[in-house]
Amino acid sequence: MKKFLAMILALAMIMTLAACGSQTASSAPQSSSSKETTAPAASSQASSSAPSSSEPQKLTLILRGGTYAEVIKAALPDFEAANNVKCEVLDLSFDDLHNKIALDATNEKGAYDLCMVDGSWMAEFTAHNVLANLSELGYKFDDDIIPNTTAICEVNGQIYLAPYFGNVTVMLYNKENVKNAGVDIGAVDSWEEIMTACKNAASQGKKGFLLRGDTPDNFVSDFLPLLLAFNGWVVDKDNKPTVNTPEFKEALNFYLDLIATGEAQSKDDIVAALDSGAATMAVGWPGWYVPADDKAASYIMIPPSAKKGGQKYATSEYGIWCVGITRNSQNKELAMKLLEYIMSPEVQLASIDNGGVPCRYSCLKNADVLAKMPHLQTVCDALENGVYRPVIEEWTEFTNILGAEMDNIINGVKTVDVGLADAQAQLEALMA
Amino acid sequence: MSNKPYKLSEGALGDRAFPHIMLAPTLIVLTVMTLYPLVFTFIYSFTDYNYLKQSASFIGFGNYITLFKNNYFRQAIFNTVKFTLLAVMFEMFFGLLVAVFVNSLKKGQKIMRTLLLLPYLLPAVTVALSFRMMLSPNYGITTQVLTTLGLPVYNWFHEIKTAFNTILLIDVWQNVPFVFLLLYASLQTVSSDQYEAASIDGANVLQQFWNVTVPNIKNSIALCTLLRTIDTFRLFEKVNILTGGGPANSTATITQFLYNYGIKNLKFGFGSAGAIVMTVLVLILSSFYIKKAIQ
Repeated sequence: MKKFLAMILALAMIMTLAACGSQTASSAPQSSSSKETTAPAASSQASSSAPSSSEPQKLTLILRGGTYAEVIKAALPDFEAANNVKCEVLDLSFDDLHNKIALDATNEKGAYDLCMVDGSWMAEFTAHNVLANLSELGYKFDDDIIPNTTAICEVNGQIYLAPYFGNVTVMLYNKENVKNAGVDIGAVDSWEEIMTACKNAASQGKKGFLLRGDTPDNFVSDFLPLLLAFNGWVVDKDNKPTVNTPEFKEALNFYLDLIATGEAQSKDDIVAALDSGAATMAVGWPGWYVPADDKAASYIMIPPSAKKGGQKYATSEYGIWCVGITRNSQNKELAMKLLEYIMSPEVQLASIDNGGVPCRYSCLKNADVLAKMPHLQTVCDALENGVYRPVIEEWTEFTNILGAEMDNIINGVKTVDVGLADAQAQLEALMA
Repeated sequence: MSNKPYKLSEGALGDRAFPHIMLAPTLIVLTVMTLYPLVFTFIYSFTDYNYLKQSASFIGFGNYITLFKNNYFRQAIFNTVKFTLLAVMFEMFFGLLVAVFVNSLKKGQKIMRTLLLLPYLLPAVTVALSFRMMLSPNYGITTQVLTTLGLPVYNWFHEIKTAFNTILLIDVWQNVPFVFLLLYASLQTVSSDQYEAASIDGANVLQQFWNVTVPNIKNSIALCTLLRTIDTFRLFEKVNILTGGGPANSTATITQFLYNYGIKNLKFGFGSAGAIVMTVLVLILSSFYIKKAIQ
């Protein structure tokens, strides 16, 4: 009997500790890469009860951490004061934001009111009724918003998201390195010239082209602009995977040559390397770096063609952070008021001083703004011609699979042919 | 008045029922906290449960078949087992070494104990982020020191040849203090008489360590090994923050795989199957200790 009890207790202990491992997988990243802040006044959670005249209402915002959340936080005090509201802000990493919104979506009463959504989640969120219909709440796009940026925000003519932060891929470069490489950055309009600049810089002892090597999604999203320049894409018009095509292979072989001039680094390291002059070029996002005359780095639009004088394509990949309201929000009207407030031209214009990148012509083409920040003209041009990642429900899995195979190819574990054939087979099974 | 001592087990409860009643609250808590989630994880592992879809169909061993057909999962199992064996081996070795050293000190044991414990007190996330900064190829202090000394500099977390070992080193650095603390406490209980007797019998330091120290602390060593094995098997934060399982899946662990392919996609049925496989593997690795505990 004693032996039996001892065995049961030992098994229970092992299982408890081991089972914690699976919980860690879901909960750890929340603590690992995200931080919870309250801005600017602390509150606990959303409330559905009518507030008294002295008691402020509460709104909970769940946002992408970094500049994207900071610009909204900076705008909140005025809204709070004018509407007797207290806002609680959760700023999270990319994956945590997706998971938290999705996990809360099945609750009858939601914990979040206003949420930030990446365009690539739109299909999944729409299919599972995660977001509130903004059209029903009275929201309309105005003519000032760059039309192309709203492409994924509507479903069947109904608005579910508003494009808030104009994140779109740009080509980051170190001014000195590019100049020393003998390339006129203002005239660059092909990836061939990017290759020349990076090879020349590498021959001068600098790192050429850097890529993000943190997650499978990084591998995919950093490669897509180049793929577009080679007239390739990851799915066809029927959303069938197209990663084992001649265009894809040609683009990937070119990419391998390009990244051989540099190496994979984390996002923070890439920015630091370009700013310090240790590296020459990388695909980046406006939210990463704010150029200025006295800064060492800047950015241009992603070159539209693969070869000099070749066919030009829309190569700017959107990573626009949209804002929406959760379907199960307990404060939809107030959240709508906040959404309209942060989407207003005045607030968006003011956000530029905090690193914001509006999707509005009136902001990006404002003479005073351009005088201070001429790089916003580049962003505006990129936003006008941007391309959203495929709007498919399986996109998170899709990038996992493709990114993992690209990781293998880039690190020499698989050849281009084998890696892409494997990716194609897995993606076809996924999309079947 | 009788001087006969009162026995708790006497009276209405009886000799047999009393201990069971006393154990009941613990057993109920254990059942709720352990068996309930375990049973549900087990049941979900046979379904295609997707949290967002809120639907679950029974698919038999579908998840398990998919798992074992997946090259990345097999690679993750290999990485996890390799990492666990290496990490536990190094942690036990250095932990024991430090414990014996500190225990032998005539002065300064308290301050050494406190200082040595510091890495273990830090959250894994903080440790990961600190090392990420220190080993940055651009602004990391390690890079600057190595460059100054004219030594080769590596891109520690993004090269296949260095990523796994760098994470291993960080994990060992953080967890040696745990082993040290447990073994140090055990060493404190070893009677000095035994060392004196061994010394009189002519045993040298190594012989004393092997014939006196080790037999006295072997149970603590076994327990420590078990706890470190279970904990290392669950390695997640450091991998997720520092490499995300790359480069080329070379640092992917089972938990990282489950996060990437199960939790992140909200495919909890698939994730549950992976969790069950992981639990079974931990049970196998821990079976030596369990067997010993039963005996």
